[in-house]
Amino acid sequence: MLYWLLFKRSAVSQNILLLMASIFFYAWADWRFLFLLIASILINYYLGLKIHNTLKESKQKMLLNLGLVFNIGLLVYFKYFNFFYEGFYKIVNVFGTDLDYNTLSILLPLGISFFTFQTLGYLLDVYNEEVEPSNDLLDFSVFIAFFPKILSGPIERAGSLIPQIKKKRELSYATSVDGLRQILWGLFTKVVVAENCAAIANPIFNNYEDKPGSVLVIGAFFYAIQIYADFSGYSNMAIGISKLFGLQLTRNFATPFFSTNISGFWKKWHISLTTWMMDYVFTPLSFTLRRLQKKGLVISIIATFILVGFWHGANWTFIVFGLLHGIYFVPLVYSGSMNASDIMAKGKWFPSFKEIYKMIGLFVLVMMTDVIFRVDSVAVALDYYKGIFSSSIMKYPASYVTANTLMIVALIGFFMLIEWANREKKHDFEISNYNVYLRWSSYIFIFLLILFFGRSSDTFIYFQF
Amino acid sequence: METTEIKEKISDALVSVLGHSNFETNDELTAQDVDGWDSLSHMMIITKIEEQFDIKFKLRDLNKLKNLGSLVSVIQGKI
Repeated sequence: MLYWLLFKRSAVSQNILLLMASIFFYAWADWRFLFLLIASILINYYLGLKIHNTLKESKQKMLLNLGLVFNIGLLVYFKYFNFFYEGFYKIVNVFGTDLDYNTLSILLPLGISFFTFQTLGYLLDVYNEEVEPSNDLLDFSVFIAFFPKILSGPIERAGSLIPQIKKKRELSYATSVDGLRQILWGLFTKVVVAENCAAIANPIFNNYEDKPGSVLVIGAFFYAIQIYADFSGYSNMAIGISKLFGLQLTRNFATPFFSTNISGFWKKWHISLTTWMMDYVFTPLSFTLRRLQKKGLVISIIATFILVGFWHGANWTFIVFGLLHGIYFVPLVYSGSMNASDIMAKGKWFPSFKEIYKMIGLFVLVMMTDVIFRVDSVAVALDYYKGIFSSSIMKYPASYVTANTLMIVALIGFFMLIEWANREKKHDFEISNYNVYLRWSSYIFIFLLILFFGRSSDTFIYFQF
Repeated sequence: METTEIKEKISDALVSVLGHSNFETNDELTAQDVDGWDSLSHMMIITKIEEQFDIKFKLRDLNKLKNLGSLVSVIQGKI
């Protein structure tokens, strides 16, 4: 309200308000790292201008490297220090020494993986002459710290967000309503779908040792839905809230489970991260290795996906998760069937049997791989798989065939049905073309579902990354 | 080298990588218009073009490629 009523005069006043709100928000979430965020903004702002204004290419490169070292250094120190530190001692101790080591207790600054990737992308874009550097510290600060996305993305690009911040935003009825719709859908996805799935999956994962294989499959199923609903719900809310301020963020999920192969899945899953990796890791790497032909592609894909996995955290589980996803691409590279259509059954209501069969196969593959993502160590994941592939997979999971579980399955069914109906649209709940009665009954229905089936939650999975 | 000759050579490179010639070589042609020209075949096409013209691209050149017209002008700047 304040934003549209009192600060409507100019982009500068709108940006001052947004920046104040963002700083307040970040400080409220965790004030200890506010100075780190401010330092990161100032240093990257300065480096961007300096790279652009330097004429000598070698000096430009030096400044870029300085920026890369600073940003990656922040990430490595806060996120990966103990991982490498421990790894170092473990390797040394292989040679018979018995050195003692104590890992440091380093707190992870909120949102660091997200805002550092944004600053990294910014410097690379400026260096590659893809964008002009920002010459306004206020605009640049809003670009990095804008509160709906600072904790968990989407990871924005300078080329798409800074021009929007520069312009004065006009209040638009249609955009605001669309934003509210997206928030409602995101809220439903998070508190109804993700939280109810978590209520089933968590107890199974926490005590997987004494569960039969059939129950472990149920745990893996609900976790796969949970992680999707958790993060896509968050993303829809972040994008919806931004729309209320007249800013359009990047789409982060585009119904990824409706894909027929792994390439289609990753084109629609955490899009702001995968396109980042595509542009700044895969493309340069595959360019360097282009003489190796398909072998070069395979190496580049696997390396990129290991990095995608490792981005999530300092744990071997994430590395193995990335490695496996990279390996899933190999058959596609050799069969040349990468170029799958992005939208399943485009223009039709029903997919073909072949598409359904491939979609289910893909889901099972993703679901099984998500187990590694969920557990604390690779050894636990292997144990979990052993449990699944045992004779107890045939055991009837009586305690899970209850009215409550069936209700949750029905809610997932409803969730997927709406996503399927809107899979060709700009977001999962873009129903502006429905007539007014249908629109309002949908809002009320979803509101009631939230009221009756919603569970409270104090966090999102992706806040830890 | 004439623009038409350059385009012909590019077209040869595309056909040898993609295995079809269902595209027209006008300046506005983009990768999206050509069946099979995706992020993976892109590097193989680039390598083939480098061989055809005996040139070497830089990563920065690649970022400038928006359509066939810009590809032709980048190549012209190198031969």
